[in-house]
Amino acid sequence: MSANLSTQTFKPYTGEKARISRAYDYLILVLALFLFIGSFHLHFALTVGDWDFWVDWKDRQWWPLVTPLMGITFPAAVQAVLWGKFRLPLGATLCVAALSIGTWIARIFAYHYWNYFPINMVLPSTMLPSALVLDAILMLSNSLTITAIFGGSMFALLFYPANWPIFAMFHVPVEAGNGQLTLADLFGFQYIRTGMPEYLRIIERGTLRTYGQIATPLSAFCSALLCTLMYTLWWYIGKWFATTRYLSNI
Amino acid sequence: MKTLIKGSHYKLNPSMVRLAHHLCPRGYERIQLGSPENGQKDYYGRNNITTVRPEPVEGHHQTPLKCIILLGLIFSVYMLTMQPVMAHGEKALEPFIRMRTIQWYDVQWSKQKFNVNEEINVSGKFHVAEDWPASVPKPEAAFLNISTPGPVLIRTERYLNDKPYMNSVALQPGGDYNFKVVLKGRLPGHYHIHPFFNLKDTGQVMGPGVWLDIAGDAADFTNDIQTINGEMVNMETYGLGNGIFWHSFWAVLATAWLLWWVRRPLFIARYRMLQAGMEDELITPFDRKIGKAMLIGVPLLVFAAYSMTASKYPKAIPLQASLDQILPLPAQVNAGVVNVETVKAEYRVPERTMTFTLKIKNGSDKPIQIGEFATGNVRFFNKDVPKPELGSSESMTSSEGLSVDNAAPIQPGEQRTMTIAAKDALWESERLDGLINDADSRIGGLLFFYDGTGERYISSLTAAVIPKFN
Repeated sequence: MSANLSTQTFKPYTGEKARISRAYDYLILVLALFLFIGSFHLHFALTVGDWDFWVDWKDRQWWPLVTPLMGITFPAAVQAVLWGKFRLPLGATLCVAALSIGTWIARIFAYHYWNYFPINMVLPSTMLPSALVLDAILMLSNSLTITAIFGGSMFALLFYPANWPIFAMFHVPVEAGNGQLTLADLFGFQYIRTGMPEYLRIIERGTLRTYGQIATPLSAFCSALLCTLMYTLWWYIGKWFATTRYLSNI
Repeated sequence: MKTLIKGSHYKLNPSMVRLAHHLCPRGYERIQLGSPENGQKDYYGRNNITTVRPEPVEGHHQTPLKCIILLGLIFSVYMLTMQPVMAHGEKALEPFIRMRTIQWYDVQWSKQKFNVNEEINVSGKFHVAEDWPASVPKPEAAFLNISTPGPVLIRTERYLNDKPYMNSVALQPGGDYNFKVVLKGRLPGHYHIHPFFNLKDTGQVMGPGVWLDIAGDAADFTNDIQTINGEMVNMETYGLGNGIFWHSFWAVLATAWLLWWVRRPLFIARYRMLQAGMEDELITPFDRKIGKAMLIGVPLLVFAAYSMTASKYPKAIPLQASLDQILPLPAQVNAGVVNVETVKAEYRVPERTMTFTLKIKNGSDKPIQIGEFATGNVRFFNKDVPKPELGSSESMTSSEGLSVDNAAPIQPGEQRTMTIAAKDALWESERLDGLINDADSRIGGLLFFYDGTGERYISSLTAAVIPKFN
């Protein structure tokens, strides 16, 4: 079909064809939404996991490093397909929006109603600002290289400041047990997690101590560098594993 | 069966008829589409057919029905016999770890029936075994926890050796500790609760458990905390509205971006246009303007919100990740008054009896008797010695399970070699007898001596176990 199309011979669908084509759009969109809610949420839960589950895991070093790094994967792969085959600059936003839906469903039903944790203890982070910028850079540049370098970097660098308005208030200090804790730490102490002892938290561990107390920017820039590579890797994963060959039969 | 196909001499077999039933429930009409007169072909592309409506094949429709009924029966039996799960895996950890790491004793609960918002505490003591298993990492990070089905209680305070502490702590093998955890009822219900230690890289070593009943209304629960700045916050709802606001804010923007693209024809139309070289029409100049606005506007919004938040919470601190340091108490177990050396331990499988040969030296100034042997939360009592107060803790007890070969009290200064036997089915029901199949088949436990005044002396036992199968 399409291989023989040219600007001169191209005729847009009209009538019944246009209606069927539109119905197909909605069908794919709905399926994609459920697919990404399930698969991206599962991927995110398995890779980012506790850093996103619990308020007392959202530290300055690992949380801003791991979350964007694992969060850029599906957006890159889906962008490769939606941009490469359809020039649709919404792959990242679609994926992250689906992730947000899945995450909120899990936090409300699994963590709150099923396991009784207060929802504020399991508030998810947001990557929507990062995803919007990633989509915009891809659309404006139409370049894998530029999107990987600048989009990937922005995806990581925007993560911590975009989430600080949500989580800063959990870092207010309280006095407890003859020591100083954040409210987030106190959540971890008070609301009992049988399988999650305090020592399991991978927080504030690392070798960023020689830079005073500015661990977060260093972590964010490290994540930015890694995100450029991760973006490229997952772009090609998306490109290799996705196909539009069935469209040729239409 | 009356269906025949002429010309091909082809008889329909029952499976074909079933297929016809499936493909066209009104099979008669569909199969008749082909007729020898007009040369049309039938549904399967064959000529010259004479078709009679196929009769139902006996059993064809009944099979799925039977399957559904069978599944329904299985499901019903399952549903009718369903019971709540009450275990926390107390018996799952290998016996040698349960018996030779954290050795709990004197565990007490202040109350077992209380209301939402009411505080209770669990207190007790534990000895960290000297003979710590080689395959278990040393307890350099241990967390005194409470096994609950979710936070039905909250933990408001916790003490180790009377010192408050919040994080994990390093324990010393051979050390003695006391503990207290203050809990507050949050959700009404009937719960089986244990104190236990999460040991890093090992697992959960359970202490004795009890049933707790929390009455009242969950909606009445409050948990107000004062920050260092003096602000009172409700932990149940703190930050929730703010979090929902920011998630919604970005969700609205993202939805607008998605709708901007979704409102136009998407996949097939755009694919065809892209293939036709009409890429420029897919991204219009106005799209590009919106993209540029997004590229500049989103980071500006992010940093504006970040700056406002940073100025609102100037005293925010990083998450705290320290390890608490609390030294053990002066020796409570193996305190040097009564010394015990384990010569040999045998486990007789058919009799479910653990027999120890011990060399005991009484260094106290009063005659003493062996009153109890405890291991893995199972307590064996000597019926000839007054039983101590058992308290509210429902440790598995064998009230007459401990016997000694010489019941005469051990006199001050006397050294005696004795054989004691701990016999009960609890060895099996608590899965402690699995020790003989473990990679490390050494046993550990605490031996309690009493003098005539009720003074108690505790010694630890440890030995390799030799199984006897007959």
